[in-house]
Amino acid sequence: MPELGRKGFGLLSILGVLLLWELVCRAGLVNLSLLPSPSQIAPALWKILASGSFLVPLGQTLGMLLIGYTIACVAGVALGLLMGCSEYLYGLLEPLVEVIRPIPKPALIPAMVVFLGIGAGMKITMVALAALFPVLINTLQGVRGVDPVLLATARTLGCSRFETIRKIILPASLPMILTGMRVSLSMGLVLVILAEMLAAESGIGFLILDLQRSFQVRPMYAWIAILAAVGLVLNILFEMVEDRAVPWRAK
Amino acid sequence: MFSMRNLSRVLLTAAFAALATAASAQTVRVNYIPITDVTPLFVAIDKGYFKDEGLTIVPTPSTGGAAGVPGLMAGAFDVMYGNVVSTMLAQQQGFKLEVVSAGTKQFDNPANTNGMVARKGEGIRTGKDLEGKTVAVNTRNGIIWLFARAWIAKSGGDATKVTFKEVPFPQMPDALRGKQIDAAFMVNPFFNASVTDPNTFEFVAAPYREVQPDVEVGHYISTQEYFAKNKETLAKYNRAFRKGVQWYNANLKDPDLIRIISGFTKMQPELVAKLNLQILPEIVNLDSVATTVKLMKDNGLVTSDIDLAAMTAPDALK
Amino acid sequence: MSIAASLTSGELTVKSPVRRKLFGDLARTRLSGAILIALLLLLWEVSAARGWIVSDNWPRFSAVLVAAYRGLLSGELAEILGSTLYRMLAGYAAGCILGVLFGLVLGSNRVLDWIIRPLIEIQRTLPSPAIIPPLILFLGVDDTLKIFIIMLAVFPPVFVNTYGGVRGLDETLLLTAKTFGLSRFDTLRKIVLPATLPAMTAGMRIALSLALIMAVIGEMISGASGVGNYLMSMQYAMRADSMYAAVICLAASGYILNRVFLRLERAALHWHHSMQAE
Repeated sequence: MPELGRKGFGLLSILGVLLLWELVCRAGLVNLSLLPSPSQIAPALWKILASGSFLVPLGQTLGMLLIGYTIACVAGVALGLLMGCSEYLYGLLEPLVEVIRPIPKPALIPAMVVFLGIGAGMKITMVALAALFPVLINTLQGVRGVDPVLLATARTLGCSRFETIRKIILPASLPMILTGMRVSLSMGLVLVILAEMLAAESGIGFLILDLQRSFQVRPMYAWIAILAAVGLVLNILFEMVEDRAVPWRAK
Repeated sequence: MFSMRNLSRVLLTAAFAALATAASAQTVRVNYIPITDVTPLFVAIDKGYFKDEGLTIVPTPSTGGAAGVPGLMAGAFDVMYGNVVSTMLAQQQGFKLEVVSAGTKQFDNPANTNGMVARKGEGIRTGKDLEGKTVAVNTRNGIIWLFARAWIAKSGGDATKVTFKEVPFPQMPDALRGKQIDAAFMVNPFFNASVTDPNTFEFVAAPYREVQPDVEVGHYISTQEYFAKNKETLAKYNRAFRKGVQWYNANLKDPDLIRIISGFTKMQPELVAKLNLQILPEIVNLDSVATTVKLMKDNGLVTSDIDLAAMTAPDALK
Repeated sequence: MSIAASLTSGELTVKSPVRRKLFGDLARTRLSGAILIALLLLLWEVSAARGWIVSDNWPRFSAVLVAAYRGLLSGELAEILGSTLYRMLAGYAAGCILGVLFGLVLGSNRVLDWIIRPLIEIQRTLPSPAIIPPLILFLGVDDTLKIFIIMLAVFPPVFVNTYGGVRGLDETLLLTAKTFGLSRFDTLRKIVLPATLPAMTAGMRIALSLALIMAVIGEMISGASGVGNYLMSMQYAMRADSMYAAVICLAASGYILNRVFLRLERAALHWHHSMQAE
């Protein structure tokens, strides 16, 4: 019952906002060429959805995001584990991490273009770089937070180093790692859209900016709606994975 | 009775006039792109021409891609420098704009300030050579894109067989060097830096001039609403701005001009000194704009007719 | 004792004591890391100086240092950084306040939660750069726009963490408060706020770097001032050395902000722990 109530209220409130928006537009309170009403955007949205023309840009943006994000997650966890487990590597890499981490990654786009050009490689690297650090830092913190008693036990039991990492360190730091991955996901989404806006000829970010530049306001809002849906779905998917991976943390 | 009506009319007019003067701001916020084309604006500020007319100019630069006409519509600024293509696109989509003064025109001039650039030794000379290749433009559906296409067609190529890639101007030389593109339509200072590097790049053509001699690339525009409410302010603006154009055209080699350009573009004075500055127009030529609109139509950018005379301030034409 | 130490000490027994001492010192002082950074910077310098990488966007590192020195001396860089940091902090503060406020209210009021949270879910998953183009239509291109988008980016992590903190509160604590007849305000002040503080500050820490990124992004897309605009205009002026100088200063500010935050957080949580110990 509460679940039903929750969903009902949620739907109602979204409809309420749309209705309010519609009324504000109908009452002539805003310039319709700047902010069209939902009933004007809906046909544009339908046209994009029904014609299937959303598939290619959506695929490009998601593909770029997923490749970059996967690289970031794998590299972040690996580096975090290595730095957490080896004092040498920690000493070697920690200063570099601390130097690169605070640079807002969009500022690196010009340098990236010099080395990687303007194609997909540059955008994937941007996404990966931005998504890397939350995963890396959280993995490191997770590893460092593992109960030393557990590790001593593992040693006594004669666990190999690899086994210790796989059976003790990784599971124990998983909640932290997942928290990092969640931050990274939204970071990656921001960066992929931005990279498409600053230097691209395809993808959702490019389309939104391009439509704004050619003053096709209604399809622009339609694409923003599609992007919102994508963000929401990605988030829900992530939560499902998280609930599976760390069931003890489920609400 | 008759006189009463007259009196009330006079009073009303006076009241409206008073309101209008109060409403017509003496501050004009001008949005610009930091390129040499907008130099007259800064000459007029620097030389006090606006001040002489009692105007204060607040210039705001826009380097990113998202400001421009939307900012104008939102009232973030009153006047902006914009290229003809985006002005016409906005007009067609129902944003009511007014051309208030002339901006940039590609006069016949032996020195180029922009053009198509390719890698040295690859033999790209015409649009035909670019078929199957990739050409960089700053924005698709923009004026650079339009003239790149038109030039390809004019020099015997098929623009539909050419891939256009959006590359920001500063990244064009890198992309060309990295062979991700085969040619780029560049503007200064990148055009100049590239063509003065003859070991790497070579000049191919000047699309603007070859497609449409004396093409008007950019204008200063405002919204029709602002124009209607601030005719007097804009008249003053125009007078002062035109003085800026005249000073600029008469002093192209003046060191003072280099100082002014370096000031708002942030380019080092040595770099500015290397650029071939072009003279700029004082008035808008509607026939020239009409030719460009026709070109937009041919390339599918506009579909309906645009009444150019109705959207151009009379002051800008004479 | 960190796990790093406990793991490595187990393995080091097989190595010679001299090597262990040498490497151990290197690791502890992070000297090896500093050397690595120096080598990378040297590589940068040489790659540009020897023409391994030819590009107007790849100046020598020494030129960047000179540009940074000049920029700092003339006050240009300080002014630019100042305008970015001012907007960033304004947006950050607004986002944090709203995040905490909504987190507390929605965490404790079920009906409001049902009504408002779906809207927040949509807002927080929408990547902020996407809404800059339409926002320009309403907020113009000035400070209002930039502060607003920073606020939008800061809000979600602060809200989610505060909300989670309130939801995770021990029911018995709240019941006890009720039994003792604590007013709503007192319950909030004495029980809810202290208990959710760690979660709140964790959200604010994530939001801090987001705020700086969004400040720069906003200025890059619709620039008139600040570091983001400076980065763009330096590219258009072919002054890559000044651009990298600004990036370095930006990174330094980000680093310092993070450090200051950690200090403040530790102080706040220290107070929090001592409160709980009472």
